[in-house]
Amino acid sequence: MKRANKIYLDYNSTTPVDPRVLEEMLPYFNERFGNASSVSHMFGWEAEEAVNLAREQVAGLIGASAGEITFTSGATEAVNLIIRGMFMANDDTRRHIITCATEHKAVLDTCKFVEQSGGTVTYLPVDKSGSIDLKKLENAITDHTILVCLMHANNEIGTIHPLKEIARITREKSIPLLSDATQSVGKIPVDVNELGVDMITFSSHKLYGPKGAGALYISKKNKPGITPILTGGGQEKGMRPGTMNVPAIVGFGKACEICSKEMKDETNRLSPLRDQMESELSDWDSVQINGNLRNRLPYMTNLTFQNIDSSHLLLRLRNLAVSQGSACTSATQKPSHVLEAIGLPDDRALSSIRVGLGRFTTEEEIEAAIREMKDVIPQLKPLTQ
Amino acid sequence: MREIDAIIESYEKAKNEGRKCVLATVVHVEGSSYRAAGARMLVDEYGFMTGAISGGCLEGDALRKALLALDQNKNKLVTYDTSDEDDAVIGAQLGCNGIIQVLFEPVDPEQEENAVELLKKADDHQQPVALVSIFNLDKTKPQPGTLVMIDQKGTQTGRTDQPDLSKKIREVAYQALDRQTSHFGEYHLPSEIYHAFIDIITPPPTLVLVGAGNDAQVLSEMAGVLGWNIIVADGRPTHANSKRFTSCQVVVTNPGEIMENINITEKTAFVLMTHNYMYDLEVLKLLLARDEIPYIGILGPNKKHRRMLDDLAADGIQLTDEQSAKIHAPVGLQLGAETPAEIGLSILSEIQAVFTGSSVRHLRELSGSIHKKELYEFETIKL
Repeated sequence: MKRANKIYLDYNSTTPVDPRVLEEMLPYFNERFGNASSVSHMFGWEAEEAVNLAREQVAGLIGASAGEITFTSGATEAVNLIIRGMFMANDDTRRHIITCATEHKAVLDTCKFVEQSGGTVTYLPVDKSGSIDLKKLENAITDHTILVCLMHANNEIGTIHPLKEIARITREKSIPLLSDATQSVGKIPVDVNELGVDMITFSSHKLYGPKGAGALYISKKNKPGITPILTGGGQEKGMRPGTMNVPAIVGFGKACEICSKEMKDETNRLSPLRDQMESELSDWDSVQINGNLRNRLPYMTNLTFQNIDSSHLLLRLRNLAVSQGSACTSATQKPSHVLEAIGLPDDRALSSIRVGLGRFTTEEEIEAAIREMKDVIPQLKPLTQ
Repeated sequence: MREIDAIIESYEKAKNEGRKCVLATVVHVEGSSYRAAGARMLVDEYGFMTGAISGGCLEGDALRKALLALDQNKNKLVTYDTSDEDDAVIGAQLGCNGIIQVLFEPVDPEQEENAVELLKKADDHQQPVALVSIFNLDKTKPQPGTLVMIDQKGTQTGRTDQPDLSKKIREVAYQALDRQTSHFGEYHLPSEIYHAFIDIITPPPTLVLVGAGNDAQVLSEMAGVLGWNIIVADGRPTHANSKRFTSCQVVVTNPGEIMENINITEKTAFVLMTHNYMYDLEVLKLLLARDEIPYIGILGPNKKHRRMLDDLAADGIQLTDEQSAKIHAPVGLQLGAETPAEIGLSILSEIQAVFTGSSVRHLRELSGSIHKKELYEFETIKL
């Protein structure tokens, strides 16, 4: 997992597979290769059993029951399945969806599809901490609203939406609530019943499982009509047909089990390291910390460096794997839509980095990262300063 | 035949023929289900099933799980959530709304105290016993299985690998036996958690038919279907014989000697149906002398019953309230029964209701759960 001199601090983008997870997965590539849908022989039964166990492990992490979990290829697919599926299942010609400006592209781009297909979407604004105004949410609900889709924790700034309060509003109006919980599940306690959400989506590779597996939780008590996007062999109760990715699902299950057990200790260890980085950098230079400081993910940060030439920021921080803007949009040098939404001007947005700590981050790495930033940042200040 | 007897019979047969088996036991139910905890099914290596763990909706998948357990030679716990309407595994929807935990145990005939052997011992016992199945709701953990039987004296048959757990379970089982109710426990050991289902296995009721007429023949056959022990007593060898009563204990005797052959328990019911007034009366006198008899049914109209009471009074026998309470005359429930089989149904229904302490009503008039569910929660027991 370690590479010479390189420090991985982009755990919110993806995580390495935990060795315990990998070990659990390996037999399912060759020895136990059966198709979980093969009901007529032992190979299939064995695979099905492994999937069922994983389903319980995944459900266990979010306080759901196994029957409420649908496996997908990832959170993006799960989000598409719900938004498109509900849009198609609903025959109201004035179908309306409420979401917010800081959602992940999986949600925003799918909402764009809804608009192109004749639906309407309200994008709730956020304040400078990335929080929405619940009054605005309440006022945005119309007779044609078919879905409220608000993420749990933001992937760039870590701000946590008050899902419980949001759910109180949506439940009262009987509007299904979908939450993209990709960033929160595995990092902070997520109990779907306590939060009162109807659907959440999350992903294996963000919590030390492999890429290629994700989950969709749909409350069995408040299940809305959803037209599946794919058609096929009836897997996942027809919601997501297609041969199941058994090794990835097995790994996802194991990863969730580990998170259930270790999440608290991980936060206790990593949160102070994040705080140390923030305070050392703030003391040293005028660094701005983005996000809702009272309610955000415990071991990630989004930092804006003041008065620097940002064009070579990441190239100069060459030993640090951090992201500028979110990973999914970082192919282009466009300011992140999240930082834009919280009111950062373009130059400030581009002078911002997301630092994500994780299971394998050490104290030494954080100290080295702080040293590197202290070394590099002054070199990026315009000479006039 | 009772399910347990059928399972044991199938097991013996499979054992003799060298076929491997798996015992499936419902070890916990939350919510409603057709079969409560304690329902069992035996599956042999060819997929032949005896007994049932549900009303038919789970058996198909349970068969596969049983064969998988057999192949892996590993106990496994499987959860069925029948509240999930879309679940394709549970094909036929019963409209149930329960979460059912089923423990699958491959049975090794070579092992003296395997799950079915213990079940057999429990069944052979003349008194209620506690049969303990230990499992783990965390399926990544080993599932110990049905390991221990405890009788009313506290004697333990079988063992677990963990003395502390064993000791605690024996205590809890002993109390459960005393209360005559099954128990679900979550045992917290210093570093691990186990779950245990303590199943109270009681011997079947004994039905003593005094009178061996054609109506008694029908009644004995019906009680046989229920798996009850049946004793037929009559003074007429032409009537009371093993040709007419194939699976019963037959006693040809005078009224005065009937009691000598019968071991009375809290679930022994007598039905007087000789159609011979004097014989019935003689036996009734004897039965009244035995306080431990819980149920006495007398076939015939009210008029006959009143005459019996008068004749008893003339002999100086006044019935106490307790005695009056256990006499059911005319015997049976009001079901509009006319034929011998219908009358048999009415009699057996009444005995079933009396022995289970149930009030006789339409189930639709019941507001709560059909089965007694108040005790399904796991009691947390710290060690």
